[in-house]
Amino acid sequence: MKMFSVSHKTVFVVDHCPYMAESSRQQVECDVLTKSRAHGVIPLAPVSKSLWTCAVECSMEYCRILYDIYPKDKLVNYIVSDSEFHILNTWRQDNQSTHELMSALAAVGPPNPREDPECCSILHGLVSAVESLCKITELQHEKRTALMDTAERVSNRGRIICLTNAKSDTHVRMLEDCIQETILEQNKLAAGSDRLMAIQQCDLVLVHIYPQGEDTLVSDRPKKEISPLLTSEVHSVRAGRHLATKLNILVQQHFDLASTTITNIPMKEEQHANTSANYDVELLHHRDAHLEFFKSGDLHMAGTSTRENGLKETITLKWCTPRTNSIELHYCTGAYRISPTDVNSRPSSCLTNFLLNGRSVLLEQPRKSGSKVISHMLSSHGGEIFLHVLNSNRSTLEDPPSISEGCGGRVTDYRITDFGEFMRENRLTPVPESSHHPSGKLPVERAKAQLERHTRYWPMIISQTTIFNMQAVVPLANLIVKETLSEEDVLTCQKTVYNLVDMERKNDPLPISTVGSRGKGPKRDEQYRIMWNELETLVKTHAGATERHQKVLDCIIACRSKPPEEEERKKRGRKREDREDRTEKNGSKDTEDKSWQESDRLKGLLDKDDQESEVIKDSPDSPEPLIKKPRLSTEDAQPPERAKGPVSLLSLWTNRITVANSRKHQEFVGRVSSVNNKFELYQQLKEENGMEVHENGKASR
Amino acid sequence: MPTVVLMDVSLSMTRPVTVDGTEEFQRKNLAVHGLNMLFEHMASNYRLEFTSLMAFSSLWELLVPFTRDYNALQEALSNLEDYDKTCVESALQGVSNVVQQEWGSACPCQVVLVTDGSLGIGKGSLRHSLQTLKQRGDDKKFPLPFPFPTKLFIMCVANAEELQMTDAMDNLEELLILSGGDGQIFTMEGPLCMKSVQAMFGRLIDHAYSPFHAVLHCGNLSSDVQVFPRPEPVVMDEEVEPMPRTVNTDLEIVGFIEIADISSPPVISRHLVLPTAPNKEVDDLGTGTTDELEEEPSASQMAGKSPNFCVLLHGSLKVEGMVALVQLGSEWYGMLYSQADSKKKSNLMMSLFEPGPDPLPWLGKISHLGPISEAAENPYGEDDSKSPFPVQPQAKRSYAQNVTVWIKASGLQTDVQKILRNARKLPDKTQTFYKELNRLRKAALAFGFWELLKGVADLLERECTLLPDSAHPDAAFQLSHAAQQLKLASTGDSQYAAFDHNIAPMHTDFSS
Repeated sequence: MKMFSVSHKTVFVVDHCPYMAESSRQQVECDVLTKSRAHGVIPLAPVSKSLWTCAVECSMEYCRILYDIYPKDKLVNYIVSDSEFHILNTWRQDNQSTHELMSALAAVGPPNPREDPECCSILHGLVSAVESLCKITELQHEKRTALMDTAERVSNRGRIICLTNAKSDTHVRMLEDCIQETILEQNKLAAGSDRLMAIQQCDLVLVHIYPQGEDTLVSDRPKKEISPLLTSEVHSVRAGRHLATKLNILVQQHFDLASTTITNIPMKEEQHANTSANYDVELLHHRDAHLEFFKSGDLHMAGTSTRENGLKETITLKWCTPRTNSIELHYCTGAYRISPTDVNSRPSSCLTNFLLNGRSVLLEQPRKSGSKVISHMLSSHGGEIFLHVLNSNRSTLEDPPSISEGCGGRVTDYRITDFGEFMRENRLTPVPESSHHPSGKLPVERAKAQLERHTRYWPMIISQTTIFNMQAVVPLANLIVKETLSEEDVLTCQKTVYNLVDMERKNDPLPISTVGSRGKGPKRDEQYRIMWNELETLVKTHAGATERHQKVLDCIIACRSKPPEEEERKKRGRKREDREDRTEKNGSKDTEDKSWQESDRLKGLLDKDDQESEVIKDSPDSPEPLIKKPRLSTEDAQPPERAKGPVSLLSLWTNRITVANSRKHQEFVGRVSSVNNKFELYQQLKEENGMEVHENGKASR
Repeated sequence: MPTVVLMDVSLSMTRPVTVDGTEEFQRKNLAVHGLNMLFEHMASNYRLEFTSLMAFSSLWELLVPFTRDYNALQEALSNLEDYDKTCVESALQGVSNVVQQEWGSACPCQVVLVTDGSLGIGKGSLRHSLQTLKQRGDDKKFPLPFPFPTKLFIMCVANAEELQMTDAMDNLEELLILSGGDGQIFTMEGPLCMKSVQAMFGRLIDHAYSPFHAVLHCGNLSSDVQVFPRPEPVVMDEEVEPMPRTVNTDLEIVGFIEIADISSPPVISRHLVLPTAPNKEVDDLGTGTTDELEEEPSASQMAGKSPNFCVLLHGSLKVEGMVALVQLGSEWYGMLYSQADSKKKSNLMMSLFEPGPDPLPWLGKISHLGPISEAAENPYGEDDSKSPFPVQPQAKRSYAQNVTVWIKASGLQTDVQKILRNARKLPDKTQTFYKELNRLRKAALAFGFWELLKGVADLLERECTLLPDSAHPDAAFQLSHAAQQLKLASTGDSQYAAFDHNIAPMHTDFSS
């Protein structure tokens, strides 16, 4: 359906002339006496609705279904006509509700039978309806403004549903002519106005209502074109049940609706709570929910039945009692709002309440034979019930290559849990449209900006990072990504840094653990250098944000231990160092990747056991060559690109062993600081550390 | 989007092509050459596409059912035989059957019709089919348009001039329009030879079978990906927005949502997101210099071992049961999630929502979804016990409020009985009694049904006289008060008949 099809604007024009006060002659017995009370009580005489009451309640039912299925952008303007016209609401969205209309109708009241019939006419209302169709709606205005140069793409079409009691076919023709003339007049007016639009198409649906037991004076007529601007159709209907059915059919035609009957709904009996019977409930919804059936010509297979007057079709789907409340992402090709045809019947309200309480129901196509096909699902979202269309055909995406076979599929130490945590922090929440952010950016843009900040430094695999494997860094890592920092945040960050300094002073082990099996790994201070570098890289990416971010970086630079020559290098400009840092990172990663491949052959020989285990806490960073050199001279001797130098077989082998061993245990302090593989026990360590040495030592051999 | 190749094997396809060279070709050879080229392209760049091969003359035959085995397709091509005359209509009917049997009627399909533009003679010819289009019963309808969305590509082993000399071109154009207009007619440029047939199929490949490469971004993390099948341009409203919308080649993640919150949203299409090896020229984060490698392992091996963002994202989405909301263009969004097939293979999948600012009513406007860090308190609660979704609509639907509908007599009777039932239990049920009474009063006033108000007033008065001696004295007071108020309302007197006015219980002093 186009956005501005005839269905965008519907004007109801309801006759309020004295003859509409006449009884429909359909009587309703509202005093249903129970057997026990039947003695001696005279039952109340049945009541009967007037033609007016019939017209109003059926039009309200039309609107109820319309608003249930199209809460937006399908608008109704309600006009009542007697000696003058009364416009009960406007096109505005906040005027679009049955409650609003009923309140206005109550103020109008039933027609006054004593009013002079000569002064009264439906024409007042029809003229006003045409005028109303020329008035621009909020959506038309919005789109015209948005489209600017191509504003002419916004059309103005509409429908007039006139509920009246016409006198004859000639009378009907007179009404049509009058509408045609009014359209021409109004279009001229509209041409010169900003708030009015010329009518491009108007469909008149004239419903002639007459009391039960009378003969109609007006004949039915299918849709015909009166002029290029106006089409007209006439329905002659008896008041009461027939009128209700007619308007139900019309609302389906006008808004592309279709009907589904849910069958086999188990429901507790009111009288006998422990038995249940099966009920059917009919729902209306957009007809695209049946697209598959229509197209494949499967209507009959899917259990269509034609009922009553042969105009109304419904498709039957079977209720499947939900077993679990498991959360699943179904492949759903459409979701359409529903409205029950008989909204306050007990089966309907049982079904809708069940759904509104948050349960979903799968629906099955009844088939005589063959497998069970689930084709639809009923589910409520925020108090609205939707009929979801589930795909029941073969998928064209079946049997795809698994993600583990593609790029990056063989890497096993992704930081899956950390990224999960990252996703939780970057979940979304609705922000009221009224709230304004100082940045002037839309919430979704701010969400993207947050993602950008959070990913400035985010190593994807465990073995690429030290700091994110350290509990001690967490407070700083969580805070530094924030857009702004409070003084308190800065303090927390500084505390984290001091804590690290403290750790370094105490020579605490780091999860870096690239310790050579025979004491050939990086020295403890080398590990700390790697850690500090990484931390600096992380904070540097944020330092430019605010002064407080810079403060954190300053703190790190001030506190970290650094060989003097590195300080010197710093002076040569931060930019350069940034680059170096990066190449250093990439370089080291590369080395490692290569060494991994090289040693793949050896993989089988070494630790076949828990190789795949994902909870590696201390994975190695790649050791840098030349670490064996005296500490102070190392930095000087290294050109920045040193990591790219050829790797000897020995160091590859050592690496491999290191990796293998370090996966099994946390390297103990003794070996790290050993000299020539010798270490004096109980020197400055507590006894339990010493014990660990023994145990781990055994385990690794 | 599966493909059906419909190959004309009528006698006219065996017409020789006049080439100066030594070898003599038939048009069929040219067509087969072109199709081989297409199949080779698909095998290397589009290999997840399901393709089937049908041959037709006056009859049609399914040579290869839908498959990804391009060798089988090529082999079938090499074994084509020659038959009688061209009959497009029956062949299209065959396509319709074959596709629907395999994929149902909702799955979009591409049909590649390969012909020489000589479209048969007499009954069964395309000309005859099109001329008799309007004189058919329901049982003998022309197969176009197909029930499923179709792209029809007509590959003519002939040049445009040749086709325009007869009405062949007009007929083919009409065929294209009948199919829904989505597609194209390709003809050969220059002399009929291998080179020009290659050029023609090259144009088809560029138009319909070029893989869709994009970059998936999540802040500074990114991955090169192929999206399969290619996302097709979408026209939302041909009147207001006639230009089709296309998916950006930069797919930007905007945030994450729980599967339970997104709750099986409707999507217009689904696509695999396959990470591709990063382009060598692009020095992306993480791809260092590779020059000092002594011996390069195969590219795919390398790619498998360098970390890829897609794999990380997929793993975490799967573990956490979440989806990533991804922006595809201006006011167009989709979601990324982990999808496992029956064999426990799992994949990163992308589904596209309908273009527009609020494709899912229960999420609200997507542009108004912001980071949770901005909220005063975590909308998910400290222990993930809450959720800000679904977004509640402003107005309740009819079934979620207690609406009054009296179209069926039973509706009215139930409402009256409810009042009477409560009337007999006064004063215990005073609240419910008045609530039901006021509901009925409101509806009766709106519907102009004053007669009912009088009727119910009478009923209440009768109830009053029927009260047993043991009844609470308050009951009688409330009943006659209610009856009187209804009668007043039924006069239409604005003082008593206001819609928003409610009848309040009578204040009595029996409360002790």
